[in-house]
Amino acid sequence: MGKVIVITSGKGGVGKTTTTANLGTGLAAAGQKVCLVDTDIGLRNLDVVLGLENRIVYDLLDVVEGNCRVRQALIKDKHFGESLVLLPAAQTREKDAVSPEQMVELMAQLKEEYDFIILDSPAGIEHGFKNAIAGADQAIVVTTPEISAVRDADRIIGLLEAAELYDPQLIINRVRPDMVRKGDMMDIDDIDDILAISILGVIPDDQDIIVSTNRGETVVMDKKSRPGQAYRNVVRRILGEEVPFMDLQERKIMHWFKRILSGEAQ
Amino acid sequence: MNTELCTIKGTREGLVITIRDATQFGEVLRSLERQLLASQSFFRGSSAKLYLQQGVLTEGQMDDIESLIADYGMRLNREPLNAPLHRPVDESIVEDAKDVQEDNTLLVRRTIRSGQRLHYDGNVVVMGDVNPGAEIICTGDILVLGSLRGVAHAGAEGKVDATVFAFRLEPTQLRIAHVISRAPDEKLPQPEGPEIARVVENSIQLSVYNH
Repeated sequence: MGKVIVITSGKGGVGKTTTTANLGTGLAAAGQKVCLVDTDIGLRNLDVVLGLENRIVYDLLDVVEGNCRVRQALIKDKHFGESLVLLPAAQTREKDAVSPEQMVELMAQLKEEYDFIILDSPAGIEHGFKNAIAGADQAIVVTTPEISAVRDADRIIGLLEAAELYDPQLIINRVRPDMVRKGDMMDIDDIDDILAISILGVIPDDQDIIVSTNRGETVVMDKKSRPGQAYRNVVRRILGEEVPFMDLQERKIMHWFKRILSGEAQ
Repeated sequence: MNTELCTIKGTREGLVITIRDATQFGEVLRSLERQLLASQSFFRGSSAKLYLQQGVLTEGQMDDIESLIADYGMRLNREPLNAPLHRPVDESIVEDAKDVQEDNTLLVRRTIRSGQRLHYDGNVVVMGDVNPGAEIICTGDILVLGSLRGVAHAGAEGKVDATVFAFRLEPTQLRIAHVISRAPDEKLPQPEGPEIARVVENSIQLSVYNH
């Protein structure tokens, strides 16, 4: 029996879709069977980020309306085939075309087949958000170190609790260690102080993300990428491993030095 | 101050929906729905009584209210209220027990987050934080055993000697009775310890709490 995780944030543009794509890919790379579901009806883009847009025939609405079987709508990933599939959102419809009950039913069906179902929630707290959390067992809240994003994350945590989705976990995205060091950006402690939920990961800001997104690839597969490493750590934590947090302050060159000193890099 | 035609408050008899004027029933329903929406599922699982200040309700209108609040997980208790909401205070008792507060106190054992609003007839004690974007409004004192960063309104029905206390008192806005103050725009040093706010000469003053 699989587990349904919803990725949500309240605020738009904090990296929900990127996080969904990377966690999905990371979990598949770790040998799990993963289904990604884009619930952002009318503004889909998970398919674009994964480079699968040109393969869409049926979408989530076709499935819930019975126009096709679930299997027909699932798109296989370019690298992982059967073990990473995407159920795309409908682009030409409104969010209220799907009901929370239909989502619960769909999730129950997907859980039979997949180890992890990861839902990419739309921004906002309206109908689309309610659909996305309806069938979820667990929630991951994504935020960035900005006051507005943290405020919205707080609102979302309250709404998740009201919907009886307890103990959400937090991913802090786009952290810039140089700015934090200078005191120009909220640091992890500031955010933790307000939200007070367990932190699943801290993802450094890096141009790798933009480069890979525009290519329809995921950074989690790039062994040299810092955010890729951070996402891989998150995946291991989801799978129950204890992984220490990356030291974001450490510059790459220092990291390399340390490895030489400890005799690792010979 | 409050222009809503109906209010939901916790009282000695549990939740009470006070309806100011039942003759404007359509507007009453809309007002009720607005407040239920704003309160999220804060009242879920509780039952409420009705208190009419003016006008009467037909059985059909009672049914309408019942089905509306049922959508928010509340039940309607159709028994009449036992006592008027604001019991006249017996002066002699007040003299005898000056330090004893007559009001109800609500204990909240969780953090109040952005978008959540707590309205209570009495004192409020929060064992947790009150985050930015959250609001506490009550007729008595407010105690936050954590950080208060949202909006707090103590003594909301005119009790000028109401106080607001928090382990870390860094509110967005503080109101006591009719007096309003807000955090200064520049960043302040963080308070060292528990602080208490009270009205002194028509403005709100914060001081370190030492007892």
